[in-house]
Amino acid sequence: MDPVVQMRNIHKQFPHVKAVDGGRIDIQAGEIHALIGENGAGKSTLMRLLYGMYPLDSGTISVGGNVFSAPGYSTKEAIRMGIGMVHQEFMLVNELTVLENVILGFEPTLRGGRLDFSRAEENIGRYIEDYGLDVPLGRTVKTISVGTAQRVEIIKTLYRGAELLILDEPTAVLTPQETEQLFSILRTMRDGGKTIVFISHKLGEIMEIGDRITVMRAGKYVTTLNKKDTNPAELASLMVGREVPGDKPRVRAASTETVFSVEHLYVASDRELSTLRDVSFSIRRGEVLGIAGVDGNGQSELIEALTGLRKIQGGTARLFGRNIVGEKPRAIRAAGLGHIPEDRNVRGLNKDFTAAENLFAARIDEPRFGGWGILRKGAILGYAKNLIETFDIRPAAPEVRVAALSGGNAQKIVVAREIDAEKGFLIACQPTRGVDVGAIQAIRDTLNQAKARGVSILLVSTDLDEILTMSDRIVTLYKGRITSELVNENVNIESLGLAMMGGAQS
Amino acid sequence: METLSNIVTYSLVHATLRMSTPVVLATLAAVISRQGGITNIGIEGIMLFGAYFGFVSAWVSGNWLWGVAASVVAGVVVSAAIGIVHLKHNTHIFVIGFAMNMLALGGTRFLLQQMFNVSGALLVDKPVTLPILRLSLAERNPVTASLFSGYSLFELLAPLLVLGVWYVLYRTAAGLRLRSVGLHEPAARSAGIDVYRVKMRAILLSGVFAGIAGAHLSMGYSSMFVENMTNGRGFMALAAANFGGGNPIYAFLGCLVFGLSDSIAIRLQSTGIPAQFVLMVPYLVTVAVLTSAMIGHSRRSDAARIARKLTEEIQGKEIRGKANEKGKGS
Ligand SMILES: Nc1ncnc2c1ncn2[C@@H]1O[C@H](COP(=O)(O)OP(=O)(O)OP(=O)(O)O)[C@@H](O)[C@H]1O
Ligand SMILES: [Mg+2]
Repeated sequence: MDPVVQMRNIHKQFPHVKAVDGGRIDIQAGEIHALIGENGAGKSTLMRLLYGMYPLDSGTISVGGNVFSAPGYSTKEAIRMGIGMVHQEFMLVNELTVLENVILGFEPTLRGGRLDFSRAEENIGRYIEDYGLDVPLGRTVKTISVGTAQRVEIIKTLYRGAELLILDEPTAVLTPQETEQLFSILRTMRDGGKTIVFISHKLGEIMEIGDRITVMRAGKYVTTLNKKDTNPAELASLMVGREVPGDKPRVRAASTETVFSVEHLYVASDRELSTLRDVSFSIRRGEVLGIAGVDGNGQSELIEALTGLRKIQGGTARLFGRNIVGEKPRAIRAAGLGHIPEDRNVRGLNKDFTAAENLFAARIDEPRFGGWGILRKGAILGYAKNLIETFDIRPAAPEVRVAALSGGNAQKIVVAREIDAEKGFLIACQPTRGVDVGAIQAIRDTLNQAKARGVSILLVSTDLDEILTMSDRIVTLYKGRITSELVNENVNIESLGLAMMGGAQS
Repeated sequence: METLSNIVTYSLVHATLRMSTPVVLATLAAVISRQGGITNIGIEGIMLFGAYFGFVSAWVSGNWLWGVAASVVAGVVVSAAIGIVHLKHNTHIFVIGFAMNMLALGGTRFLLQQMFNVSGALLVDKPVTLPILRLSLAERNPVTASLFSGYSLFELLAPLLVLGVWYVLYRTAAGLRLRSVGLHEPAARSAGIDVYRVKMRAILLSGVFAGIAGAHLSMGYSSMFVENMTNGRGFMALAAANFGGGNPIYAFLGCLVFGLSDSIAIRLQSTGIPAQFVLMVPYLVTVAVLTSAMIGHSRRSDAARIARKLTEEIQGKEIRGKANEKGKGS
């Protein structure tokens, strides 16, 4: 079969890094083509080039027989050629309705430029039915869940006439249930003749959904394989260029000293479903407590409350014996709390600042970095270089703006800062969201080392695998209440999943 | 009591519309640019240029239509300059907007000097003004005359323009695109929308309305040109647009609040209350009304409702808990 898309000899240089350095890919009609590689390997950049978002430095892109080279290729052109892209960070306007977001840029109109909403609904209804893409057209985007937002993104590309869909790490933000749903949609689309490019760091997913797999490393094309002829271990070593060790066995904490506890916590949310009621748990020194739950069941509210970002309506929260209810975030941090926030873009990073500035931010008050309102750049850069090396952040350039980092490397900055802050209690939310296999291992190892030093960790994750590998104990959160609490030994995944869905409540 | 009935009379309706219309027109300019994500602080200056060129052209040509046309052209030219400097050369809108305001202030003063050899104000014998619409049927009775007749052209057109702008913003493709650009530029760009063009158009249209606002100020609201006669109305318009969250209808209501309190203040002056205080009233009232409107809005939000409910639940538990303890104790 002839490829619908051929990218050859692609080069793209950014300040500080050559993101794509001789990239290539052949995508065939009607396949699900997985694209994998480490953080910063250039996957997103290669696909953005295909979607016309950046100009090419050199190379050729051929789409359905039309050949494009360096200039003269734009997003508009890409859309016209039937290419659609769902970005790693969604491109939705939160304040607009789902319907408005879908038709944006391609609005059906009546006479006088008036929007023809009923025709739009009709058109979209087709995709909703054909592919099982269930979305509430009338709701504003900010009120819908992440999984739904993603379906909106997919509908958007279909509506614009996409025959080739690029999905950049679509599952990084999804729950296991939502991922399954997405996969069945993708399969239906493929069987209906669409072509899909799928980027993910989860090799299990790649093996489940991919037909062929292209591997990239450091901006370069490595190889393309048939799924049938490969296995996760081979893929991992192709990506990283060496063997990737698996998870080490978990070491249980021995201490009985309680570091952190909440009792009868009540926290209001904007939504009833995620309003916390009567939540109690405690964490011992050097222990990892996992909070499992489907996204939107109160996790965010819990974290915000504990970090001082959201008002606590009732109950107590004690950190090293001190009640932190009503305290300011700064005071809570000073009392010994570190925090890896769930969305690095909102709370974790200032993307307009450099890597170094983001890395040292938690230590800005320390005299070694300056005083009297004057910062000591040398000390900051030195400190940042050190962390960049320890955590293998790429590119190893402390003065690069965080906005220019790949998703996984941006995440590593947050993790590095919070681990290095050496707080006794760490709230880690989705700490490995969007990072590659090697880095997942590195981040988990770092967390385990912190644990061995006696740091207590509250791990909030929608990734059950992560919860099960890391936690000593697990509590499940459902509709703002704790539905079960178990020690992580021979935990039955089914019953855990059931508790997450509220099954064990009665 | 007597003073109160002197102040609050039927004629307040006309007075309110009269006082608010210059701001309403400028507010439309502010709403349009705001929806494109631009806080166009240059509106004040555009308006002043519009007022000057409109008044002078109408007077020279003897036709108010030429006046309005000149105001619009002035508005478009100045806003095009703002747009190019801001969008093409990436200058912060505050910098170029502020510069334009200074230029308008100094420029009109300079032109007054050079062209008419006057300073302060340009008063002419037979100024050409915008038409005033009279309804002879209503004129028979002073009450209906005040309510329904004697409005200047734009005092009647302004509410219609408000509706028109609302329609374009919320019911047409162009409006949807403009709003998306203002709310989330990357999303608009990824939909293949030419963000630069959309923003440029918004700035130009904003200039048209600001120009008209100026024309109305010197030829409808008054019949002369005075230095700095905009007197902060361009900034008030930004505030009103902000209060309305970019929605022209809410912004219009905000303007009416201001117009109402302004007209009341003028009447208060005749009661012997110190003028300095009286002149402060419209601003105080505006701030108070806007603040309470916003507080009311956040009170009614889902988040606030859930928080109240949760507090009640907790209190209910505590009371029951105490009752249980007592029960055990006895
Ligand atoms: N707009 C940009 N400006 C400057 N550098 C960039 C830009 N976008 C990406 N880069 C750099 O190019 C390299 C490749 O980034 P890219 O986002 O393509 O990686 P990726 O394979 O998608 O990684 P991840 O899995 O972490 O998302 C990275 O080093 C990144 O820092
Ligand atoms: Mg990426």
